[in-house]
Amino acid sequence: MASKRLGRTQDATILVLTSLSSGPKHGYAIIKDIEAMSGVSFGPGTLYGVLARLEEEGLIETMAAEGPRRPYRITATGATALRQRLEANVAIAQIGLKRLGAFGA
Amino acid sequence: MRGKAVVEQVLRCYPTWWRARFEQEVRSVAEDLLAEGRSPLGVCLNLLWGAVRTRTRATAMPRIYELWSVRTRISIAAATLPALLMAPLVLVAMGNSSPHSSAGRVIPPSLPLFGAGGANLLINSKRGFVAAPPLAPAVSIVNDAAFAILVLFLVTFVVLISGWGSLTGAIRRSATPHRRSVVLLAWAPVFSLLADLALIIAQDPERPTRYVGSRPVNGNPHAVLVLGTILSIVAALGWLVSILCVALAARRAEVAPSDLRYGRTVSLMVAGLLTLLLAAYLCWGIGLALQTHQAAHGNFTTLVNSRQDLWVPMVVILSGAVTLSTICASTARRSYRVISLITV
Repeated sequence: MASKRLGRTQDATILVLTSLSSGPKHGYAIIKDIEAMSGVSFGPGTLYGVLARLEEEGLIETMAAEGPRRPYRITATGATALRQRLEANVAIAQIGLKRLGAFGA
Repeated sequence: MRGKAVVEQVLRCYPTWWRARFEQEVRSVAEDLLAEGRSPLGVCLNLLWGAVRTRTRATAMPRIYELWSVRTRISIAAATLPALLMAPLVLVAMGNSSPHSSAGRVIPPSLPLFGAGGANLLINSKRGFVAAPPLAPAVSIVNDAAFAILVLFLVTFVVLISGWGSLTGAIRRSATPHRRSVVLLAWAPVFSLLADLALIIAQDPERPTRYVGSRPVNGNPHAVLVLGTILSIVAALGWLVSILCVALAARRAEVAPSDLRYGRTVSLMVAGLLTLLLAAYLCWGIGLALQTHQAAHGNFTTLVNSRQDLWVPMVVILSGAVTLSTICASTARRSYRVISLITV
């Protein structure tokens, strides 16, 4: 229950960028990848809100459309931003785990 | 099959520029999700929420002047019009206050807005006129708040008139298609006021001036009553239709960036004034409740208001209007910033 509650608060931006860091994907593939990776189910409205924002910020870009599906890929700027964010998260996670260890949880 | 049809309808809630760019993709993803067994209601609600966010945040909206101009104009109208709706309602909801004492009828029946504390209040009792108990201390809060509301109403009115003047001037200077009809829409408040004025003038000769006992000997009281009812209906409807027409005119008028800048300033001022109006109205209601409490613990004269019961619903409605106005004024400010970047 507690992990589920934490799962809901995960940053959608990180999830989408992490999904795209393994290679270009179209919308449905991103949703399925995030679901498998984190258990978070994105709806199309949420996903395309994030994709539009990331594209506007230059963190991802579109590739040639394959029928109605258009694949997205992470840009170099996006990869750098994701790396920085994940490294910061790792540092916080390590401190948190250390403190929880002392707490005996 | 039904899910797909609903998805199709929900996609229409997104703005045109968004649909041109993403509609095909999102439709395909939604269909894939429905095919794998995702709840149609969940998918549709998520799309609907996405549409609301896209419209409010305008993420990824192309940097095209026309698109941002429409967004700015709609935001200005949505930030300004709640004040036009709420300010008169607040004045009506404040009703009339009259001094009241448990010792008897208080004279005079109303207090001045200035110097109420020094008013010479009397009570008409069996022993003749005697001095009324002192006013409850919280009466000054009520009176000061009422004065503040009146001043805020007048300032808001001046700002709105200035904004309206700027809008009509901007439409005249613009190359808006069907400009004449847009100008007519913008002038709707004036037409509405003229209609009210005509009805008041028509009512006047019918009003009785001489009476025998309580029976009028001239004029036509029945006509006065009918015209009075028509006047109330025309005034209320005209007011609402005027708000709608000005909103439509603001939506359709293709005005210059400099006019949008003034409109943005007006919307920010109106949102601020409406917030102050809410604060003053809150103080007014709290003051009324407080003086009643004070009178229960001491011999004080209090103010009794005919519409005190409307205070809670009015606070709720006014808070909604303030929230809407503030959000829209902030959107107008952000949109205008994008326009400044586009037009540089």
